[in-house]
Amino acid sequence: MLTREARERYDRQIMIRGFGQEGQGRLKRARVFVAGAGGLGCAAATYLTAAGVGMIRIVDQDRVELNNLNRQVLHWQGDIGKRKVDSATQKLRKLNQEVKIEAIGEMITEANISQLVAGFDLIVDAVDNMPTRYLLNRVALEKNIPFFHGAVYGFEGRVMTIIPGETACLRCVYRGVIPEEKFPVIGVTPAVIGCIQATEVIKYIVGIGQLLTNRLLVYDGLNMRFTEFRLKRDPNCEHCGKGGKK
Amino acid sequence: MSVRINLHPNLLQFTNDQAIVEVNGSTVGECLDELVKQFPQIKRGLFDKDGKLLNYVDVYVNYESSYPEELAKPVKDGDELHITLIIAGG
Repeated sequence: MLTREARERYDRQIMIRGFGQEGQGRLKRARVFVAGAGGLGCAAATYLTAAGVGMIRIVDQDRVELNNLNRQVLHWQGDIGKRKVDSATQKLRKLNQEVKIEAIGEMITEANISQLVAGFDLIVDAVDNMPTRYLLNRVALEKNIPFFHGAVYGFEGRVMTIIPGETACLRCVYRGVIPEEKFPVIGVTPAVIGCIQATEVIKYIVGIGQLLTNRLLVYDGLNMRFTEFRLKRDPNCEHCGKGGKK
Repeated sequence: MSVRINLHPNLLQFTNDQAIVEVNGSTVGECLDELVKQFPQIKRGLFDKDGKLLNYVDVYVNYESSYPEELAKPVKDGDELHITLIIAGG
């Protein structure tokens, strides 16, 4: 049962057909793990907080630098030098006090990932490197947690939704690793992709619409074009196939 | 047989910014070979020193992944290829 204040705050989304107070209640009970407080994480966490998910755990080991500010919109000039998770948490709490925001300033590793995601219903991929994405993909499959992938470069973004045991996973699509690099990006690109990730998370929790599963959506901001590639599960996938752990 | 190859933006440095290249070939590999003939510099953006497709390069045929056949995957007249590179920024 929503409070009078909650009914007013979320009035416009409760009005959406198929959403209703029941959908809002589902959001309130959801626990979302956001891996990364950079461009994607700032966008996704902002809209998930505004939408009223129950709890967000945001994990990132970095501190705010001046060159983050063109895209990581939860970090402001006065936050330079602070831990990103603290900077993000401070703004998100101001946006919506009803949402429990938990900040963890750690690097996601093979050793801690299982514990970090324990008890969470969904994982948002907002990291900036492939090895951590593969770790997240594997743990999502092992723990049967839906996984929402996003990545950006320049004016380009990609996004897909993974339902463990049912749909193609990240490793079915990608097998390689590109060298870690300082990548070019304009702030609007992670804003677009992070918002699509948040859209998918909200749809999944509320149980409406068609998810971006078995599809890789590629956003080309420079030519303002969306392209969709059809994906299939790889039976020999080392994460979700017969050769994998699951 | 004419096949259209759509190139990832990061490969345009090798093609004088030409984003779509028409080639002939009956497999993905033959199409890429002709692409390299037209734009020799692109070889280092696609293949390792042993001639294998780099593991961060993906080829889609008519919007479906060519994996696992990859270079051996047959193509026909009018098919459309997309060559993409993994992106990892967040």
